[in-house]
Order: sequence, then C-alpha cells, then structure tokens
Amino acid sequence: MKKLRVGIASFAHVHASSYAAILRDRADVELVATDPDALTAPPDEVRGASLATELGVRLVPSYDAMFSEGLDAVVVCTENSRHRDVVEQAAEAGVHVLCEKPLATRLDDAEAMLRACAQANVILMVAYPVRFHPGFCAMREAIQRGDLGRILAITGTNNGQAPLASRRWFLDPELAGGGALMDHTVHVADLLDNLLNVSPEQVYAQVNRVIHADEVSVETGGLLAMTYANGTVATIDCSWSAPSSYPSWGGLTLAVEGDLGSARLDAFAENVEVFDDRSGGLRWDAVGVNLDALMLDEFLSCVRSGRSAQPDGDVGYRTLQLVLAAYESASSGHPVMMTGP
Amino acid sequence: MTSTQPLTVGVVGAGGIAHPHLAAWRYLGVPVVVHSDEGAAAAARQYGARSVAHLDELLGQCDVVDVCTPTFTHHDIVLSAAAAGRHVICEKPLSHTRHEAVEMIEACAAAGVQLHPGHVVRYFPEYVAAKTAVDAGRIGAPAVLRLTRRGARPERSWFAESAKSGGILIDQMIHDFDFARWIAGDVTQVYASVVGSAPGPTIGIAVLTHSSGALTHLVGGWGHPEEKFRTSFSIAGAHGLLRHSSTEAESLSWSIPGASPARGELIPLGPRGRSPFVAELGEFLASCSGGPTPRITAADSLAALAIASAASRSAETGLPVRLEEGVL
Repeated sequence: MKKLRVGIASFAHVHASSYAAILRDRADVELVATDPDALTAPPDEVRGASLATELGVRLVPSYDAMFSEGLDAVVVCTENSRHRDVVEQAAEAGVHVLCEKPLATRLDDAEAMLRACAQANVILMVAYPVRFHPGFCAMREAIQRGDLGRILAITGTNNGQAPLASRRWFLDPELAGGGALMDHTVHVADLLDNLLNVSPEQVYAQVNRVIHADEVSVETGGLLAMTYANGTVATIDCSWSAPSSYPSWGGLTLAVEGDLGSARLDAFAENVEVFDDRSGGLRWDAVGVNLDALMLDEFLSCVRSGRSAQPDGDVGYRTLQLVLAAYESASSGHPVMMTGP
Repeated sequence: MTSTQPLTVGVVGAGGIAHPHLAAWRYLGVPVVVHSDEGAAAAARQYGARSVAHLDELLGQCDVVDVCTPTFTHHDIVLSAAAAGRHVICEKPLSHTRHEAVEMIEACAAAGVQLHPGHVVRYFPEYVAAKTAVDAGRIGAPAVLRLTRRGARPERSWFAESAKSGGILIDQMIHDFDFARWIAGDVTQVYASVVGSAPGPTIGIAVLTHSSGALTHLVGGWGHPEEKFRTSFSIAGAHGLLRHSSTEAESLSWSIPGASPARGELIPLGPRGRSPFVAELGEFLASCSGGPTPRITAADSLAALAIASAASRSAETGLPVRLEEGVL
C-alpha cells in the first residue's frame, strides 16, 4: 500500500503530540511537521525543533515548505484563530484536512474554510474524538433503536484543568476566541448534534471567572441550556473546574433521559487508579481505547477512499454557531434564538 | 414552657414523610400524639404514639406541632397551630405559593411561636460535610455547582398536581435550591425547564446565577416506581473540588440473581445508621425548648421557595427570571 504523506501543521494545540506519536507509528504514513509560530510561544513551552526531536518527527521550517512536499493530508493544530489561513492553504494545495476544534473563532472564518475545502473537493474533518468512543456509539445505536424512547433531556459535562501550565494561548481571547466556553462546549455540542440530528432552537448561557480569577482574563466557568423544537432540553457544563490536583486532565460525561429509560456515558471512566506520593497522590491511568487513534484512522481511511468524513466541517460550523450564540446570551442575560446555517 | 419538662409533639398526617418523623421522635424518646384523616391509629401503634380524632384535640395535647400533611394543606394547619400558641415544624415546602408561606411566617411571628421548615437535606451527613468543607475554605469561593436528585415518582396523586404540590421544581428541587443557596449564597437569576410526564419520568433542569457570581446547575427527576433514590453533588471552587454520589458512596450493595428489583425508595434515610431526621427534629425540638437557632430558618425556606417559584415561571415562559431585590 502506498504511504500517505501526512503533515502536522503547528504544535500549538496540546493534542499535536498525541497525533504525531500515533501517525509516526503507523506503517502507512510518512509524517512531516512544521511549527513556524513556535517562536511566538512563551520560551518555557516545549515546541518546534525540541518537541519534534522529542517525538522523533521530521520538522520543516514553514507551511510553504510542508505543503510543497505534496501532502495527501494535514492535521491542523494551530491556535484556534489561525486555523483559517492554514486550511485555505491546504485546500489550495489539494490536501485533505483534519482540523482541531473549534473549527474557527468566527463564523466568517468557518464559512471561508468550508467554502475553500468544498471548492477544492478536499475533506474537512473536525477533531471531535469522543464521537469515536465505543460507549458513545453504543449509546447512539440504543437511541436510534428507540431503547430509551423519546429523548427528554441530555446533560453533558466537559470539565478540565485550565490550561495554565502549558499552551497558554488557550487563555488569550484573540488566539483562542474565548475561555472555557469556547474550549469545552463544542465536544459535547458535537455529540448532541450527532444524537439529536437537529440544532437547538434556543440557547441560554451564563459564565463566570471565579476559578483562576486573578490569573486569567477569560471565563473559566460556564453553563449552557438548549431547547429543541421537539421539546428536548440539553445542558452543557463547560467549566475549567478540575483543580490541579485532579487525578487526570478532566473528563466528559453525557446523561441521556428518555421516557422509557436513561443512559450515562463517562467517556474516560476506564482507568486504573494509581496512588503515587511522588506525583501528588491519586492519578487515573487511562486504559480505554485511544480515541485520537480511532479518529485518525477514520480520517486516513476517508483520505484513501475518498469517502466523506464525519465529524465534518458542517458540524464544526454548527457547534461554533452554538458557542457564539451562548456568548451572546451570557452577555445579554437572555436566551438567544439560533438561526439556521 | 421550660426545658426541664419533656415537650410533647403532635404529628399531623400519617403518610409518607410522617413515618421517618415518627421513627425519629420515638428514637429521641419524645411523647407523640398523631392526628390524620387516615392511618393515624395504625401509625400510632407502629411508633408507640397516641392517636387523636381531631386537630383541635392534638393542638390541646402538644407543645410542638409537626406538620407532615400534603403541601396544599400546610397553610391552614400552621395557622391553626399558631393560633393555639404551639411551635410549628412544617415539612418542606412551607407552601407551594409564596403568599401562603409569607402568611404562615407572619402568623407564627405574630403568635410568638417558632416555625421550623423541614429541609432535611441540610442534615444529611454528606451535605453537612460539603458545607463544612466550603466554610473552612477548602475549595475556595464556590464557582460552579452541579446538583442532582432522582428517584421514583411519588405515589400520591397530589404530587403530580401543580396546584397542590407546585410540581417537581417546588416539591422536590427546593431541596437543592436551598442547598445551592446555603453553599453559594443568594440567587439573582433563574432559568429552568420541565420535561416529561407520567407514566414516564419528569425531569426538571435549572440554572441559577448567584450574586457572588457562582453558577449552579440542577437536575431533579421523578421516574419509574422501581427507580432507586439517588443524589449527587459536584462543587467546583476557586482552588478545589467537592464531589459526592450516593450510588458510589454506599457501604453495602447487593447482587441477587433472579430477584425482582426492589421498589424505589421514596424517602431516603441517609448513610446507614445516621438518620438525618433525628438530627433535624432534635435540633428543632431543642430550639423550641430555648436552644440555639437551627441551621435552617423559615426565612431560608422562603428564599428557597422564591427561587423555586421563579424557576416555575421560567419553565412556563422559557425566559430567565430575575429575583426581585429584597425578596431574599
């Protein structure tokens, strides 16, 4: 089988290392990376050549140099607001795209990315790895079979530690597009979109900055409540509320209530408890499936076959719409009606 | 009334909540008379109490009235008790309407008797432990709270009638509205929804904004008859996190293949061997004998009812409701 040439565009996102390690170890992939914005990062963050060496990944100096190598696919891991330029460049080069979430920080950027990829006839997939969780897939099948009956309510949480220790651009409203609401809403929003197959009619949101109030300028706490045309209600807790002593980075849960039954997903429950005095006590060592690997596998499979890839740019757009409407609601204190795409 | 003479308690009602109350009074060694439209004699026999046929008889034979009747009857019984000069313990919610609750509080104040609202959640050891940890500064300022409370749908039909119980937001979720306010302070804005109806589950969801900036997410559920009662809380603070789940913190669990599932537990008795009802009613009775003011007051109960009423309005209109200044 011919090797796929895959690029990693930037090490800005925390997930870049995970993607790089998975792709490096795949026999069917020839990997190259570039991290030209490494110099704009705080000097204590491990980026660029030192991270590439640590990962054992070949690094080239610029996006131009990377795309000139005739890539088949690229994984875009830049800061959120810098996705657009790289995705447009990839589309122009005819390179399939897996883009970190959120797709963009503004709707006009997201629209431009969708347009560029559609015109170039390349895949635009968004990195929502929980979509590939076997537990989530089983939950979706149960709902589609009608096991839970009519869906009344879904409560989702995606809580984690605030990105203070590394990758501090997540706290920069210009680069990240906001705080916890921008960072953590979209994963659950994507799962809701996939389970309900419809966008909410209305969203109500409240945010605060009680946690890390003195260290950051963006919101660290947030709650969203959505209502759907069929009467279903859904909520998301997107707070960066896991303390630094939490046994893992955080987690994601989804509780679905139907009129015939209920189901609950704890996406990162599969772990071994490790009590380690030297690293601050209890740690949860994950033993579940590697969701990043499943997602990359689907992406590369679509790249080879030309199949369309899910989660696609459209759901990336819809989930961004929800986040932006939630910011509007949090700012006004009123629910915001969602308009169609 | 002096603290040397044991007080007699008159329990009004012999239904669901009366049972844990009667059991607690017996545990505390308190003489009890019971009056109820039905079931008083049997309940009296079961808990070593005396039953009387009329409310007036009960009021004539007790020092403290413990109102365990359906919510929509609280108002008239409490006003009768106050008129008779008896201290009052009244199961939550004080009433399903704010104006009735205010009348009850004013009547008791005018009669010079105490009014203690039965928000027993403040006496559950896990909720007490959370409050103690927050007050000790162990997690810093509360930031984002998540509270859940699930169980079987109450059997008595009046619970399902909003005009009699207030529905799930006022009858059941008032426990967690009160707890949220106990932990994170007064509430300025409420947004809520209620979905589902019998025979399926009824789910209430609410988002509270506290004046401190803290946010609270609440889920309450009335479900199938065999649904096990369970609660959970997660309280994220400025530098820490508190969590509890009743299903994960059980010291005893069963697996009996082939056995039919046990019926849902409507009234939880708390962690094994520690009845929160004994703690609650003991504190109220001590207050009636000149002891310290209990941890929950009628004003707290009214504030929780204001939040629950605002949640009901929000669920009806689909719009957030701001709590009036001065209401709390």
